[in-house]
Amino acid sequence: MIQLENVSRRWPDFSIRNVTLRVCEGDYLVIVGPTGAGKTLLLELLLGIHQPDEGRILIDGQDMTILPPEKRGIGMVYQDYVLFPHLNVERNLTFGLAYSRPRPSRSEASRKAAEIAHLLGITHLLHRYPATLSGGEKQRVAIGRAIMTEPRVLLLDEPFSALDRRTARRLRSELRSLHKSEGLTILHVTHDLTEARQIGGPIALIHEGELNALGAAEELIRRPPNLFAANFFGAINIYEARVEDRSGEIYAVAGPIAAPLGSGASGTPWLMVHPDEIVLFEPTAAGIGAVHCEVAGLSDEGNYVAVQLRVSGLPDPLIAYTGRQWLRTRGIELGDAVIADLSRAIHVLDEANK
Amino acid sequence: MIVPNAQAGEPPAGVEYAHRAIISHRFHRLSIFTWTLIAAPFLAGFLLLRLYAVAVGIVAIAAVAGTLAHDFRRTAARRGKDAALVVFAIVGSLLIFFIILPILDLLFTTPMSGVLKMARDPSVQQALYITLGSALVATAMSLLFGVPLGYVLAREQFTGKAIAEGIVDLPVVIPHTIAGIALLFIFGRAGVLGAPLKEHLNVQIGDSFGGIVAAMLFVSLPFLVNLSRDGFLGIDPRMENVARSLGATRLEAFVRVTLPLAWRSLLSGAVMTWARAISEFGSIAVIAYYPKTINTLLFEWYNFFGYTYTKPLAALLLIVALGIFVLLRATAKLRRTQHDPA
Repeated sequence: MIQLENVSRRWPDFSIRNVTLRVCEGDYLVIVGPTGAGKTLLLELLLGIHQPDEGRILIDGQDMTILPPEKRGIGMVYQDYVLFPHLNVERNLTFGLAYSRPRPSRSEASRKAAEIAHLLGITHLLHRYPATLSGGEKQRVAIGRAIMTEPRVLLLDEPFSALDRRTARRLRSELRSLHKSEGLTILHVTHDLTEARQIGGPIALIHEGELNALGAAEELIRRPPNLFAANFFGAINIYEARVEDRSGEIYAVAGPIAAPLGSGASGTPWLMVHPDEIVLFEPTAAGIGAVHCEVAGLSDEGNYVAVQLRVSGLPDPLIAYTGRQWLRTRGIELGDAVIADLSRAIHVLDEANK
Repeated sequence: MIVPNAQAGEPPAGVEYAHRAIISHRFHRLSIFTWTLIAAPFLAGFLLLRLYAVAVGIVAIAAVAGTLAHDFRRTAARRGKDAALVVFAIVGSLLIFFIILPILDLLFTTPMSGVLKMARDPSVQQALYITLGSALVATAMSLLFGVPLGYVLAREQFTGKAIAEGIVDLPVVIPHTIAGIALLFIFGRAGVLGAPLKEHLNVQIGDSFGGIVAAMLFVSLPFLVNLSRDGFLGIDPRMENVARSLGATRLEAFVRVTLPLAWRSLLSGAVMTWARAISEFGSIAVIAYYPKTINTLLFEWYNFFGYTYTKPLAALLLIVALGIFVLLRATAKLRRTQHDPA
């Protein structure tokens, strides 16, 4: 298990602040965040290239905070592979074996390299030099080189972002099965949300050197804890709300939308309305939490139709997803009035703005 | 990219091909007219000079003719003459002429027999050995101390780094006689280090082989430090990070990854340091006039016996220097082909 406890490090122009994170053995944690959020620096802190000013880094309960990288047993794979250009693929793979104890003999090392090469499908490349390999091949070699020494943790820094989409998808699924079959613990940095969702593991969102949010992928996307996370995960229908006391209960209110606030909330609350949880009715119907609105736009998105709803009291139109069938049978067109039931769709971003 | 002047019959080979195309493109901007004008001062100089110049003139004419013939194959792209470029080329070629003329003159007007006689002179041989040897020692020392310094300057950010880099460059701007005098105050018989060295270890640096080495080291160290620093800067530090994640210590990563990738820069820096050390005179004349290096010997002969007597020796040393120059260019070319981080 990897534990980061309040890890902080200041550089002249950037800092990592108070990162506390726990990754269990065999987990596959995806670290996401915008460019310049400090994702790579966080990995390099873990790797031991940089030392934290404060906090501790533990792996399997052992304090690693001040150990040099070579004593940590952590494998690293960079986006642009960083293969040793003066060594052929086999020597790249066996590079780290020189430092394992007991040191394997040359034939043992080659056998192991052949094994890993077989696993990654690069057997035919063993005697080639990195400069002659394609991007996908280089990345396989880089992954192979990192797992040759059987590291306790594998760090991947945007490993697929330099590859074309097809190669990236193939390597991603290969890596997932490798993760399962070898029981590897992986920390995978990416700025690609689709990639993060496809991997399916828990997600840590990093923003300006801080851990912004942590949780299962779907949970974070459904219920982002704060405004930044909501925006990062591509949420729509976000409205600034004001706090209102309604006969003893505290509510976050934006126009006709209201939701009870948790007790620990501070700062300006924001409300988010899930477009696929909005239930639309014809104007004759009525229900709890129903909001009267006017259809201001319709756009066919393939599997669903995005309906723009003009709601009085809201600065921007509310977007709702609905079936094409529903619209057609009722003959709903631009300018028609509908009623939207938001009771299941509202989510409060209560951790202020972060 | 459109490559108008690609060599016919050559297979496109990626970057190298594009690079060559750019060069050949620039090359052809200076077409017939320009090349004739560039060649004019050369030709004039050669014709005004004596017979040897005619030989060189023929070579120059052949070179220009070759260029013209080469140019003739492309007709479309070279219509627009760039007047400013032509003027620049003519003015610039005068400078080249200024460099090449004394060198050619010295080489061609000195009888070979005189040069060979010089080469067999024991005092010349002695001076040559001392010069080459002390330059070699100075180069070895600059490698020993300069490579670690270059590495630190390339990899670490620290307060005072700019100052350290400035200090490394100082010997380039300090007049060498002044450097010699300053060194004398340190290593001379009464110097801060010279006196205790003499007293306790009986090592004398002033007027000795050691003095020559010290002077050479002082004036040539910047080349090695700067070139090795640039060489290390060209190697992705993440290469070392990966090596360390695989279990190598920093030193092991340096030896197994950084050094094999940077050796061309180090070699180039070492050869440049060596060449600079060999050509040093000013500071050596002050701190260690004896034993005589070739430059000291040449200076002394010139003072005592005059120009004509010294000329064969100068020609001999020029030939040695040209040999070193070829070596220098070869290693510089090697350095440019340093492995790309793949």
